[in-house]
Amino acid sequence: MNYKDQEAGTSALPQADVSPSSGKSIYTRRDVLKGAAMGAGLFAGAKVLGPRNRAAAGPSSRSTSATPKRGGVLRVGMTSGGADDTIDPLVWPTNMDGLRVFQLYDSLTALDKQAQPQLALAEEFTPNANATEWTVRLREGVTFHDGKPLTIDDVIYTYKLVANPKNPLTGFVLLGPVDVANIKKLDSRTMRVPCHSPYESFFASQACYQFFIIPEGSNPETVRVGTGPFKFESFTPGEQSTFTRNDNYWQTGLPYVDKVVISDYADDTSQVNGLISGQLDLIGALLGDDIPAIKTGGCDVLVENGGAYGPFTMRVDQPPFDDIRVRQAMRLVVDRPEMLDLVFGGYGLIGNDLFAPFDPSYDHALPQRHADIEQAKFLLKQAGHEHLTVTLVTSDIGAGSIKAAQVFAEQASAAGVTVNLQQVPVSTLYGPNYLKWTFAQDVWTYYPYLPNAQETFIKGAVFNECHVNNAKYTRLFNEANATVNDGLRTELIHEMQTLEYNGEASGYIVPYFIPSIDGFTKHVHGLTPSDTSNPLGGFDLSNVWMD
Amino acid sequence: MGLFRSMRTWRKRSPLVQLLVSRVWQGIVTLVIVSILIFWATEVLPGNAAYAVLGHNASPAEVHSLEIQLHLNRGLFAQYVSWVAGVLSGHLGTSIASGVPVWTLLKPRLVNSAVLAVAAGVVGATVAVLLGVLAAARKDSKLDDAVSGFALATIALPEFVVAITLVILLSTVVWHFFPGVSVLAPGTYPWNAPKLMILPVAALVIIVVPYIFRMTRAAMIEALESDFCEMARLKGVPRGRMLLVHALPNALPPIVQVTALTFLYLAGGIVIVEEAFAYPGIGQGLVNAVSARDIPVIQAIVLLLAAFYVVVNIVADVVVLLLTPRRREAR
Repeated sequence: MNYKDQEAGTSALPQADVSPSSGKSIYTRRDVLKGAAMGAGLFAGAKVLGPRNRAAAGPSSRSTSATPKRGGVLRVGMTSGGADDTIDPLVWPTNMDGLRVFQLYDSLTALDKQAQPQLALAEEFTPNANATEWTVRLREGVTFHDGKPLTIDDVIYTYKLVANPKNPLTGFVLLGPVDVANIKKLDSRTMRVPCHSPYESFFASQACYQFFIIPEGSNPETVRVGTGPFKFESFTPGEQSTFTRNDNYWQTGLPYVDKVVISDYADDTSQVNGLISGQLDLIGALLGDDIPAIKTGGCDVLVENGGAYGPFTMRVDQPPFDDIRVRQAMRLVVDRPEMLDLVFGGYGLIGNDLFAPFDPSYDHALPQRHADIEQAKFLLKQAGHEHLTVTLVTSDIGAGSIKAAQVFAEQASAAGVTVNLQQVPVSTLYGPNYLKWTFAQDVWTYYPYLPNAQETFIKGAVFNECHVNNAKYTRLFNEANATVNDGLRTELIHEMQTLEYNGEASGYIVPYFIPSIDGFTKHVHGLTPSDTSNPLGGFDLSNVWMD
Repeated sequence: MGLFRSMRTWRKRSPLVQLLVSRVWQGIVTLVIVSILIFWATEVLPGNAAYAVLGHNASPAEVHSLEIQLHLNRGLFAQYVSWVAGVLSGHLGTSIASGVPVWTLLKPRLVNSAVLAVAAGVVGATVAVLLGVLAAARKDSKLDDAVSGFALATIALPEFVVAITLVILLSTVVWHFFPGVSVLAPGTYPWNAPKLMILPVAALVIIVVPYIFRMTRAAMIEALESDFCEMARLKGVPRGRMLLVHALPNALPPIVQVTALTFLYLAGGIVIVEEAFAYPGIGQGLVNAVSARDIPVIQAIVLLLAAFYVVVNIVADVVVLLLTPRRREAR
């Protein structure tokens, strides 16, 4: 596939969405879809992940006839920040950091609202016949906030920083197949990128939030100069940061507001109080419990059904999970709609033990797995684990993780499985024992399929919590990455997903996809849901406007 | 030699100086022990600053390289020694999490917390002493019953309940009078935005008033029932004069003690109120520093709080001594 901007000079990202608010205070695009496309859903009321209907996937509009207005100061609140807040575009661990980084920086490609990779700073990504070499050309006329034009040297510099073997940054896994040292500059806007092995998903990988382009020679921690919709004004870790409108933004007409003030909040309660008492315009990353308070306070709620997931991770190389029957039994004890109800108040999507639900290659033909206690008991008996006792390591890693663990323990008891919960601090879960726990939880943001597999399940993957080591799976991955034909590649990916689904190449239980809940005042418009699982419409403040 | 001897005799004679010297020594020893305890405690905390800074997207290689950069691979003792050396030469070090000098980070937070604590302490103590004197003067009256009952009820309430109730009543659900959160923009101080201070100060006042009020009332009643007040009353001293000139000075020592305790509470206990209102004070700074495993900042804040405890205790002891004539005499 050739990724090329059809009309040079126009944006491949969605342009200004016009969706001013009216009275209805909760809406999701999927709610609309549910009625139309998913009437045949097996669970009354629960949203089953069905085939995606692109035609229906426009921004949900609550529209009156207003057109977006320029100007105003947008005050945004977000949790998860603290003393270690950063504005480093290449290492940003929290939502708070991401919110800042997305305002200042752009990457070559980016996920659109439907979580599909699209061209952003690049106007062309062309692979050779087996995807071992890519030609990448930048959009013309993009400038950094300091006026310096964006050139291919800046991109090569950023890649070298990320892939530096002495100090690898977050994105080094996805740059792994790229022969960064031998990237060849063709002209000031074009480069030829050789790869160690075929890398069809290079295009998608560049949209995975880890490759924001900084000016050549700059320090990512301190530069604060990007090509994004807003320019840096101030930053105080753990407290507040301010950004002003980039008048020369390459997406013409955007952003709408003059200034963005982003404040750190310690918890949802104070955030919601700030919104209701008029000190904030927009807050994000909330829980279902917050919705009634926001509505009572006269503000609006947006629920985004993102593709982030919180898997239970079983190590396939350790007992009892080294027995595939035990793994499948653990998947069969989960009553997914009930878990979604109890953890997220029914918002969010049901999972099928697979990731990347919005990837065009996602296999919707695999039957939705339901709770089947009898089958689970049968499998456990076969495996000689009739009265299985396991310890599940849980932690408050966000999005109801502890609650999910409690629900899981309760549901598993129906099959005679005793799940002891070991609750540890976040820094312990992700401390030295991370990737070593026998049975634990994790949280993943949305990635397209191949990049996600590259991070987790293929041989040598860095974040292989389950210690999956399946030669066939890795071979299929490599083949898929060498296949530029979409149809053939999708077949290969379906084979990979079957291996995950039947437990051969996966130790994940993926019961649900995590919804993202935002709150905003009646004066805020243009916030559209994003499937990327990043809150605030995928950290998109450039389309937000105020009356 | 002569000077030394006269100092020694003076010391011997004045219990005030004796008290000061011994308390200062005790204070210094306390601070040293506290600093060691904190270093040890932060070591016991799971994870370290490198994990906290990088988050779980970080690979083991990334974490290791940051550990080396932050000198976290050095032994705990070596880290402690270099920290003590820094403090003795006036440098509190650099924050691991943000790379900013600790003092730059703490100064605005210290000011914010001090303003909040002093405002709440002064308002609270004034209100409480006034109410206490009134309640004692009209013991068992309706006013006394009402105030005493209210005090007893609020003593039983945890801080966050008071804070949240105020927010619900005055800023979000019932009325919209005051801001529901008190986020000060960096670079601004409470006096630039006095409106933001109303609810946090009110919450703290409600929390501290009952303690001082109850102590004042009890001490005043005791003083009023004493023989010398009986005598004064029989001599026909006017009521107001008797309350303020005869009874109150004798009731003051316990009131001073409980007020000092209140300030000590405010220094540490405002953490919850600061969190509830997202107020950028020292308490919030401490919470942030702990979750980021930012040892230099934790050390500095805890040491400052401990020093504050020591100083307030000394000041309270000195004031009580000055207010108690018979203890001023050499024994």
